[in-house]
Amino acid sequence: MRHLAHNRVKQGIMDSGLTGSFCNVLPVATCLAENVHSLPRNRGGNMALSFIAAARKTWRTAASVKTGVILLILVVILAAVGTVILQRPITDPEEMQRAYSPQALRLLDAIGLTDVFHAWWFIGLMILVSFSIIAASVDRFPNAWRYYSRPYKYPDSSFRRALHPQKSIAINDEETGLVAAERALHSLGLSPERLVREDHFGIFAERHRISEMAVYIVHASLLLIFFGAIVDGIYGWRGELTLNEGQTSNAIELRDGKTRALPFAIRCDAAGQENYKDGTPKKWWSKLAVVENGQDVAKKEIVVNDPLVYAGVRFYQSSFGLNGKVNKLMLNAAPSGGSGPKREIGLALNDTVVLDADTTVRFAEFFPDYAIRDGQVYRKSNQMENPAVHLIVAKPSTGQNYDVWFPQLDEVADNSKAPYRFEATDLKLSHFTGLQVSHEPGQWAVWSGVVLLGIGLIFVFYVVHSRFWAVPVRDERTGQVALWIGGSANRNRDAFEQRFDQLVAAVEKEVNLISTGAPSERVASVGTR
Amino acid sequence: MSRVKAEPQQPEATGMTLIVLVGLAIAFLLFMAFLNVVKSGNLLNESNLLFAALIFYAGAGALYLGFGVTGTESYVRFASLATWAGLIANTAAVAHRWYEAGHPPFASVYEMLLSFVWTLAALTLLAERKYGVKVIGTVTMPVAIVGVVLMQLLRSDVHPLVPALQSTWLHVHVTLAMLAYAACALSFALAMMFLIQDNMKTETFLAVTSASTVAIYASIVLTRFEGWGGLSLVAWNAEDKQEVFLSKGVRLFVIVPDLGWLMLLATLVVAAPLVLYGLARWKKDDSFLSIANRAVFVSILLQVMTLAMFLLRAREGAYPSLDADGLFPTTLAASPFILSGLVGGVFISLLYLLLLWRRTDLERLLPDADALDRITYKTICIAFPLLTLMIAAGAYWANQTWGSYWNWDPKETWAAITWLVYAGYLHMRVTRGWRGRRAAYFAILGFGVVMFTFFGVTYLLPGLHAYA
Repeated sequence: MRHLAHNRVKQGIMDSGLTGSFCNVLPVATCLAENVHSLPRNRGGNMALSFIAAARKTWRTAASVKTGVILLILVVILAAVGTVILQRPITDPEEMQRAYSPQALRLLDAIGLTDVFHAWWFIGLMILVSFSIIAASVDRFPNAWRYYSRPYKYPDSSFRRALHPQKSIAINDEETGLVAAERALHSLGLSPERLVREDHFGIFAERHRISEMAVYIVHASLLLIFFGAIVDGIYGWRGELTLNEGQTSNAIELRDGKTRALPFAIRCDAAGQENYKDGTPKKWWSKLAVVENGQDVAKKEIVVNDPLVYAGVRFYQSSFGLNGKVNKLMLNAAPSGGSGPKREIGLALNDTVVLDADTTVRFAEFFPDYAIRDGQVYRKSNQMENPAVHLIVAKPSTGQNYDVWFPQLDEVADNSKAPYRFEATDLKLSHFTGLQVSHEPGQWAVWSGVVLLGIGLIFVFYVVHSRFWAVPVRDERTGQVALWIGGSANRNRDAFEQRFDQLVAAVEKEVNLISTGAPSERVASVGTR
Repeated sequence: MSRVKAEPQQPEATGMTLIVLVGLAIAFLLFMAFLNVVKSGNLLNESNLLFAALIFYAGAGALYLGFGVTGTESYVRFASLATWAGLIANTAAVAHRWYEAGHPPFASVYEMLLSFVWTLAALTLLAERKYGVKVIGTVTMPVAIVGVVLMQLLRSDVHPLVPALQSTWLHVHVTLAMLAYAACALSFALAMMFLIQDNMKTETFLAVTSASTVAIYASIVLTRFEGWGGLSLVAWNAEDKQEVFLSKGVRLFVIVPDLGWLMLLATLVVAAPLVLYGLARWKKDDSFLSIANRAVFVSILLQVMTLAMFLLRAREGAYPSLDADGLFPTTLAASPFILSGLVGGVFISLLYLLLLWRRTDLERLLPDADALDRITYKTICIAFPLLTLMIAAGAYWANQTWGSYWNWDPKETWAAITWLVYAGYLHMRVTRGWRGRRAAYFAILGFGVVMFTFFGVTYLLPGLHAYA
């Protein structure tokens, strides 16, 4: 009985014109909470009970929508501040010093305003938001669940009076009305249920009851996303790995300057860039291999939007460039004096190649950006600005060495003294590839949360829980029987009213058909029950 | 009484005149454009199509304003026709761009604006047909016009996509963003209409409109006024089509003489209605309000003059700078914010005049307040899931490109703020039963945040999301 009354309160609220779905439970929840509250107060106030009361009050404050909205406003303000003030890890320190005076910077750093999104108070606020979502959901869920799991199928007289939309249709006898309602509901694609109790009977049909639970789906999905983000915050890490072509490494440089050693290593086999016709970059790519216990276990060519994933660690293409080294120098060599044949040779740095029985050539030095001072060649920088190549031609029999430079450097050496003439045809430069490395064990929770959130929102906004009741009512004074039809929807009520009018029209048609004596086996079968 | 009686005959006479005038203006402009086109020999290129769209949108805007002045309902019908024509030209421009670039027009601020204006016009027509909000164009068309004018100034050359943008997620993310933003713009327009239907006092609108124009002019004067009445503008390198930089991130400003005085004068004049409103409230004397309304009229004249002077001085010409020797040129494209602020100020004031003069006609043409309130809510019910999916698609894409689904980048953060504002709206509406005024204010606030996320973040806050 209590349950029924309770449900009725809820139906009444439902039908008082609120369109949302979590609204219909809220006032009931508060009224219940107040009931529970009054118990300890009546028994008198000792310390333990007042503590419980305080805890209850805290819980109710946390669960209230007002608290939730205030917390959201706080998050909005702090996040906005975080986008206006320059943030630490992204902005370089010099720029920070240029932008703010030293005192201001010290103050901002102390409060954490230069790294808002990782400050303890911001994280604390996010925890409070999560707690508020949990409290609000837990507080309202039992009622909503009762409402969901035990649908209100038989409307009593006070409910029937208050409901909108409703309609009464004159019928000859109860059975005609019920059958007509059943057929009409079938024709609208619903599956009506006949309720027979000792004191009353009626028809109930509903659709998309799940819509009442949609808000909990949305809140649960938000918590799932937060959970994933927390897992990533605790167990995840991000870093960088720079590899030259051919280099293998497992040492990731983390954001905070530490190094993390992976249980496997990454080798970069090649890296490159493709350009559009106008010279802007079109594509950066790297051929990566995963090396575990000395064996290649995976290989992939990554590009900017397509990372390599291995054992939960993701490698993203992030930068690319020349590393100031040379892969191979291609040369044509021919004996100086004679008319010997031209030979094409390729040399990597420090390679030695035998030219004839008594001559070898070695690729001794490479300068990406050279400068000459006092007859010496220096490395000015590691930028590929002004490269120079140093070859040493040796004759073991005489023990004599000859220096050859490309380009010809007259202040340093004379290329023509060497027993061979060289012609540099190509300089294959070595590239580095910059990889972003991240490990985000919580991201699966985040993506499932996102999918769930999408589904939940679709239910919240577009799936309507609609209910129809049909009850034959006999007027006490006149003895006339009428079929009372009522309907309710938790949102989009104007569209629902059209649908309700359709139903009424269909019922009227069926009533006419039955009373004009149209044959129907359904009447017979129901009649024998 | 006599005025009410006179009305049936009045529209016949003045009604046709304006329609014919606007029609002639459209025909004339199209003809001039056509002559230009014949000379260059390329009929259907994008700038022509965009120009045609601008002409039609401006025609629609003029007709809506004409409706405001005369109250003739047939203007609204013709305005809607002009919007259709503009939408067709706009669609052709989008298609042309798509074909030329080989990717949907989402890759730069210019292309985003192109898509945004298209979506806005389409949704305007949808709202008109489906919900019967006939005069919604009064608010959305000015937004579209400002959008197209801004587009004429931004860099429009087709860029191939940089590596980070080569992803299907670009299209998903941006389509969702455009749809969501346009739905937010529509909910904003509907909320404004609601406030009119809800019998909000005309003088409250006076206070709000003049406060916004004062804010525009005050922010220009406070940030750009230089000694001796000059106005500092960003210098423009015509060859590279970009701002002149002194060093990395530091722009070179030139000083346009005398324009600062004009801006200062305009600030004082647009502030006058606000001051008079304050006086009326303080002294409880409504006679100040009629003076205030006249002051609005004067301020519009001065605003138009300021805009014209700004256009004349900033469009061409070389000016000195405080930071470097010599004269540097500037163009309108270097100051998109000042320009859209000035144009926006004129529109806001004109909308107020429309309300002042034609309130009863507006009320007659609009659905009732309850219906508007419901439609605003429904529009936000469409916008919110789209915003959510937009953020989710962006996060997924960021995870594939930058290695993390959430970086607290300003654009991301502001998208989240937008989402939170609308989430707050939905919670207050559904659980606290916030309806009517308060819900309308929330919808307006939400759109303000959306606009900041769209433009403000791109131009004012640095970040990874540098494309648009």
